[in-house]
Amino acid sequence: MMIKIQKLLTSVIILLLSNVVFAQNNPAYVSIQFKHFANNQPLVLVDSAYTNSTGESFQPTRLKYYISNLQLLSNKTKPRRISSVHLIDAADPQNIYLDPYTVEYNQVSFVIGVDSALNCSGAQSGALDPVNGMFWTWNTGYIYFKLEGYSAASTNDLQKIEYHIGGYSGVFKANRKVILTLPEPLMIEASKSPKITIHVDLDKFWNSKNNISIASNALIMSPGALASAAADNLPAMFSIGNIE
Amino acid sequence: MAIFLFIIGATKDDGYGAYRPQKISFKIPKGWPKPSTDIFAKNKLTEQGFQLGKKLFYDTRLSIDSTISCASCHQPFAAFSSLDHDVSHGIGNQFTTRNAPALMNLAWMNSFHWDGAINHLEVQPLAPLTAPNEMGQTLEGILQFLREDEEYRKMFKAAYGDPNASSERMLKAMAQFTGSLVSANSKYDQVMNGKDTFSNFEKKGYIHYKTYCGSCHQEPLFTNNSFRNNGYSLNRRNDLGRMGITRSSTDSLKFKVPTLRNVQLSGPYMHDGSIFSVPQVVDFYINKINRAVPGLDSNLRKPIVLNKLQKNELVYFLYTLTDTSFTKSKRFGPDGPLQFKH
Repeated sequence: MMIKIQKLLTSVIILLLSNVVFAQNNPAYVSIQFKHFANNQPLVLVDSAYTNSTGESFQPTRLKYYISNLQLLSNKTKPRRISSVHLIDAADPQNIYLDPYTVEYNQVSFVIGVDSALNCSGAQSGALDPVNGMFWTWNTGYIYFKLEGYSAASTNDLQKIEYHIGGYSGVFKANRKVILTLPEPLMIEASKSPKITIHVDLDKFWNSKNNISIASNALIMSPGALASAAADNLPAMFSIGNIE
Repeated sequence: MAIFLFIIGATKDDGYGAYRPQKISFKIPKGWPKPSTDIFAKNKLTEQGFQLGKKLFYDTRLSIDSTISCASCHQPFAAFSSLDHDVSHGIGNQFTTRNAPALMNLAWMNSFHWDGAINHLEVQPLAPLTAPNEMGQTLEGILQFLREDEEYRKMFKAAYGDPNASSERMLKAMAQFTGSLVSANSKYDQVMNGKDTFSNFEKKGYIHYKTYCGSCHQEPLFTNNSFRNNGYSLNRRNDLGRMGITRSSTDSLKFKVPTLRNVQLSGPYMHDGSIFSVPQVVDFYINKINRAVPGLDSNLRKPIVLNKLQKNELVYFLYTLTDTSFTKSKRFGPDGPLQFKH
């Protein structure tokens, strides 16, 4: 038993030392932050009212969505194959940290939604844990984008608005790719960790491609034509904000 | 120093017992095809996982008012369907909208529920657990209960090395139990394995079955797990079946072909449980198919011609699919008295 512990101890120490050496030879990380806006102001959930493109007033209470395969792209080298899922909650948007794999970047790319395969992989944890409230129990699949709240224009029970956008297969697949070009190439230097802010504009949800009005559709609750049309509006919500 | 203490900590007992999971294997019955996907590939079958899943399956405390467990509607003595109920009871005197399917041989299925809405066995429980007309709970509520119950803490530690429940662990344990429910030991199976013989009635019934039923209710599973329109008219709940999921009009009134195994015990029949006996089901297929229904399955276009005697022969054959070693199994059955509404 003592020999086993000794061996374990030795390998842990070696691992720690080699990490220190590795860190000194490599540039720092890139952090990506999503900042949410509506009507040209920072988005405040629950306590604020905003107006959509149809002139309808609404009070959003929840905005959550999945971002998959978030990565930096470079014109100078081939992209890496990446598989990752992050759940962004506008109430508490967490930074995402990426390890640079080259020195010059030109774009940020990601997919709004969850890969089809992961929609069929059964019980998962982390961002894909059904406890996050982003999973349909009655028709298996992830809710890619959830916007909830209230509006006087809604004819629903309690004047609720509920947009649950999803759908992982077939004609109404709701996955949407986004590629954002950086205003100028981002150069990675050792010991500097750049921060990219992605600007998320809720105003674009209502009409960037197809028109969504609360009076006509206060609810989208399953995959289908309506969800797919709403999904078409999502990419335009995202743009590059600050780069520090 | 910190690393040394951490290593020491990892070998200390946390009071919930050792973590020594025993691997068990999933046996495919002789002559059966292998399932197209190995449902246990990312969910390694262990005795501890199976027992945890079984305990969860029989536990009424998973419902919001502690009256309903999975077994309340999936009763072992009814081949894990609801005995004598067209639809099932939920909390607060509510009902479900469809007949509870008998649970067996799930490892061979790629989708679940009459409309195929569920694409993976592990996530199926989320539907009844959280449905307001079934068990009415929230996932957070269930996990909180499991994390605070001493017996479950011991069982999660035994199965996963950690006493704290997570949704993934809970759902995977349930799938270890439900996925293990295999029924392959009926009289029919004994006959196919050369250990028994059909009576003359049953032998003739087997021929009728092969002629008229075998294309959808295919041996040895007695289902091909496809979605078919069997000419059953739109019911009073306006249940369009698979179309509700795919939104495709070609899926209107298509429902998943159920297994005929243990059919003697799993009545009533059809997606809404509106046919009460096996002879009446046979009558439906002979006399009552609604031939005006668009999309009637091509296998049913030709009328089924069976006289009264032949109908009885077919029914006798179907009764040979009853497997009491499955329905009375101690391994699959509850460890204590079964709790259910009535």
